[in-house]
Order: sequence, then structure tokens, then C-alpha cells
Amino acid sequence: MPVESDPSAYESLTIDDEGIIRLVWPNGVRITGQSARSAFDAVNRLSADTRRPMLVDMATTQSVARDARAVFGEPSAASRIALLGRSPVDRVIANFTLGVSQVPCPTRFFTDREKALAFLREGLG
Amino acid sequence: MSESPIDDRRLDQLVDLIVQLAAGNLEARLEPSPARDSVDAVITGINLLADELDTMYRTLEHRVAERTAQLDQAKRELERLALYDPLTGLANRTLLGDRMGQATARAERGACPPCVVLLDLDEFKTINDGLGHTAGDLILVQVARRLSDVVRDTDTVARLGGDEFAILLPETSEDQALRIAQRALVQLQEPFDVGDRTVCTGASIGVCFGTRGQPADLLLRDADTAMYAAKAAGKATVQLFRPEMHHAARARLQVASELGAAIDEGQLCLEYQPIVDLRSGSAIAAEALVRWQHPTRGLLHPAEFIAVAEDNGHIAELGHWVLREAIGQLGRWQADLPAAGFQVHVNLSPVEVRWPGLADFVAEVLREHDVPAPRLVLEISETGLMTGDISGLETLIALRDLGVGIAIDDFGTGYSSISYLRRLPIDTVKVDQSLIADIAADGAQVRFVGAILHLIEAAGLRAVVEGIESLNQLDRLAGLGCQYGQGYFLGRPVRPKELARSLAGSAFRVRP
Repeated sequence: MPVESDPSAYESLTIDDEGIIRLVWPNGVRITGQSARSAFDAVNRLSADTRRPMLVDMATTQSVARDARAVFGEPSAASRIALLGRSPVDRVIANFTLGVSQVPCPTRFFTDREKALAFLREGLG
Repeated sequence: MSESPIDDRRLDQLVDLIVQLAAGNLEARLEPSPARDSVDAVITGINLLADELDTMYRTLEHRVAERTAQLDQAKRELERLALYDPLTGLANRTLLGDRMGQATARAERGACPPCVVLLDLDEFKTINDGLGHTAGDLILVQVARRLSDVVRDTDTVARLGGDEFAILLPETSEDQALRIAQRALVQLQEPFDVGDRTVCTGASIGVCFGTRGQPADLLLRDADTAMYAAKAAGKATVQLFRPEMHHAARARLQVASELGAAIDEGQLCLEYQPIVDLRSGSAIAAEALVRWQHPTRGLLHPAEFIAVAEDNGHIAELGHWVLREAIGQLGRWQADLPAAGFQVHVNLSPVEVRWPGLADFVAEVLREHDVPAPRLVLEISETGLMTGDISGLETLIALRDLGVGIAIDDFGTGYSSISYLRRLPIDTVKVDQSLIADIAADGAQVRFVGAILHLIEAAGLRAVVEGIESLNQLDRLAGLGCQYGQGYFLGRPVRPKELARSLAGSAFRVRP
């Protein structure tokens, strides 16, 4: 498991049938600048030249380092991003990321997966 | 609202966290609990805010440190500009003044008063004008390096401006100070490399020892006075300040202020000293020597005002007056002169030689007085030519092309060789009187002068020996086959009428 070998690495990265990128961070992850960069590069590689909506499952994230938030502010293959969490802690972390970084595409925090997907589907046109 | 024990504990920890942050410990953090409820959200928020604050604080501190370093650097640079000479890196006048102030203050508290050595390069203006300011700057930088090499760590070498330098020697004995001044003198007499040529200069040095209670500016003034005394004593010497030197300095100032008017008001006149053919006893030429009939001080000789004229810019005006007057006299003499080849010699200062319009000026004055160019011989000192000045050389060639004779004066006082002289557009070499001073008593010197005369003759040049003051000297020179001479024994400088009478009358004193 990636989470065992590297507590800051993402857990999985896929593109679903609808063409939505799904990035899942493992439970209790501490997202560092390096792991953010690694995920960011993987997303760009996976999506090749196509910009797609992206669902980021960040529930139970322990912390997001300042330099990781700077990476999330860079333009990427994601055309819009839904940050999916569960707890008030997730909400604070997500909104800090949104507030401190100048996000390059429409990005919102959700606690409801369906609402998050609906937001992303708007971007599929 | 229900309160579980775990909630209370986290709130207390949160209060502690805020207290720590408020106390300035921006690295304090609190781990949220696995519950991830609203209290944990507040903890996370405060952690994130603390992160932001810490980062901003560090960034700010870094910028402040960076700006402070830049300000320090700028301050050092300003200080350097304000206190050091940008060309040589030496202390400037301001810093020297500060250090002199400190040294005199220490003397007030019982320490030994400081000594100041003031140095002015000889012939630097000639070099600067002749070879250009870049060459002059190269020499100044080398002078700075050489002076720095002769002083101790506690001394301050400063450039006061132009070619004037000063050395402050705090708490120094007379012996030490004179040793340092002497070492500086020797160092500055060594040739300087300027591109692919070497140039010789030298320095006149004044030394003054402070006395307790003497202000720093007076100490510098007295050192300056001693330096001028060194210049007046023939340059390339060290002079220790004596109070009576102020009289000479005041006289020099007076000369400087009166000289311009003296030229305009006709206080200058020329005397002529014969140059004699030692075989026939007849005068073949006369050297025009300027005199100043001063209204209160009487007849002044060139030594009393030429150096001042060179310093204050009157030399060109003075030189033009002498040329006009001498050529005019030649014109008036034409009908009475005993021989068609009789010439008048006129001294040119190195400054005049560099004047680009000199050849045209001479041609015009010769025309004006209907004087054939070969009747005029212009004399330039050996040291004046040693700067390797191209523009001066071009002027000499233009004068020679006019038909004017060119003589090297004071040969034997510089370092030029006969082979160097052969390359110059000259026809006469005047051998300096210092070479024959001991000729009557010193057999080796007789042979030496004989060799010089032979070399000059072999180079196809005419030799005139200056400073013949005794029959013994004359006999020795005649024995060497020397053909032309000049000196008090043969004839003193006299007014034109008197010279004309002598020329018409009899031969000069070649035989007793």
C-alpha cells in the first residue's frame, strides 16, 4: 500500500467512465509539497492533453503543508475540482487551500459525493 | 450543551496553544483528535493560521535582514566614496583631516604629536598633458602603491588631489619620519611603467612635525610650505619645515599675483649671455635670459619666478613675451651683427613645447621682424623631453622644418642617452655645468667630459659646455678640443646694448 511506504503519497488516481479524474488521498495523510507535486504531475500525465474535472477525496486528511497549497494553485489538467470531505476539519483544510492559493479553475468543497459529482458534471458540458 | 471530559481537555490545550502563539512561539501546534469535530476544526484552523503567521514572520525577518545588509553595504559604499580617493583607494583629504584631528587630540592628552609628510610629484603636469590623463592616472595608482609600501600600519597615506599626496605619521620620531620620507623619495624616483613605455618623475617632499596644541590644518599648511621649499630647492628633495619658510611662501604668493601685471606693464626685460667659439674667442650666439625689474624687490632672476609661472599658468604668456622680445631684438640687431650666422638662443618650457600653435607663432614673429629662421635656436631642457611626449616632438619637428635650431639644455642632469638624442630633431647639445664643476681638479672627470664631447660630435651634433667660470676649466675644455662654451668667465648676461658693444669691440675672454 502506498500509504504504508509513504504516508504523504496519494492512494489512487483513476479516470472513471464519465471522464472524471478521481484522486484519493489515504486516511490520515499529511500532504507535503513533494507529495502534492507528485500527485499533480501524475494527474497531468494521466489526463494527457485533455482537461477534465477532478474529484479529490480528502476526507481524514491530517494536514496540508503551505508549499503543497502553492502547488494546488498551479494550472493543471483539471478543468474544475470538487474537494470531498466529511468533517469540519476537512472543511477548514479545504477552505484554507482555496483561500490561500489562487486556484486556477472552479474549485469547491463538498461533504456530499453526489453534489460534488453534479458540480463536476456541469463542467463536462 | 453537553460537555464530555475529552472536549474540556482539548479546549484547555487550545487555550494553551493560543497563549504560546501569543507569546511569540509561532512554531507551537496542537494535534487534532481523531474525532475531527468542530473543536478539531478550530484546532486545525489555528494551526493553519499559525503556519501562515510563522511563514509571513520568517519572510519578513528575511527581508529585513536582506534590506539591513543592503543598507549596511550602501553605507559602507557611501563612506568609501566620502572618505577614500576613488582612483587610488587611498584616504582622501576628509579622512586625513579626521585622522589628523584624532592624532592631535591624542597629543593633547600627552602622546607624541603627529608628523605630516607632504609630497608633490615633479613634472606630473608635463606627463599628464603629454601622455594623456589615462597615463597620468596609471602613474598616480603606482605612486599610491609605492607610498603604501614605505609606511607602517599605523600611518595614513592620503591623496589630497591632483598629484599631491600626504602621509600622516602618528607618534613618530624625527629619525623615523625622515627615513620614511627618504624612502618615499627613492621609491618615486624609480621609473613608472605606462603601457609600453617607462616615464620618470620624482617628488618634492615637505615634512612637518606637529607641536602640542597645533591645529591639524596648520600642520598640513606647514608641511605644504616645506614641500614648496623642496620644489624651490631644485625638486626631488626632502625639506623639513622651518618657520622662516613662511616668508618664502608669502613671497611666492606675491610673485604669482604680480607676474601677470609685470608682463603687461613692461617690467620684464631680457639679458643676453654670449656663447663663445673657444678657438677664435668670438661670440657665435647669445642666450636670452629673462629678468624681472620688480618695482620694490629689484632685479629678479628666473629662479625666483619661472617655477611660480609654471604653477599658475603664466608660463605661456611669459614664454610668448620672451620669444617676441628676443626675435624682435634679433631683427633690430641684424644690421650690426658681426657674423651672418650669429644666433639667439631662447629657452622653452616643456609647457610651451606642447602648445600646438608654437611653430606657427614662431614663424609669424620671425616674418614680422624679417629674421631668418636659422638665427633662432630654441632650448629645451633634457628632463622636459624625457616624458616621451608625442605632441612636443611634433612641435620640435615643425620648428626644425622652419629652419629654427633646436638645442637640448642641461644635458647630463636627466637620464637620456646620446643614442636617444640622435633620434630627436636637434642640432645642439648644451652640456650641464655640473659635469665640469670639478674638471680642474679631477682627471677622471676630464676624461669623462672628453668622452661625452666626442660622443656628441660623433652623433653629428654641436656641443656647448655651460657654466665655465674659471680659466682652469676653460683650459681643460680647450685641451679636450671643446669648441663652444658659455659661462661667467667668458661673459656674464648683459643688456642688449652692452652685448652689441662687446660684439663690435673685441673678442671674448678666451685667453687671459
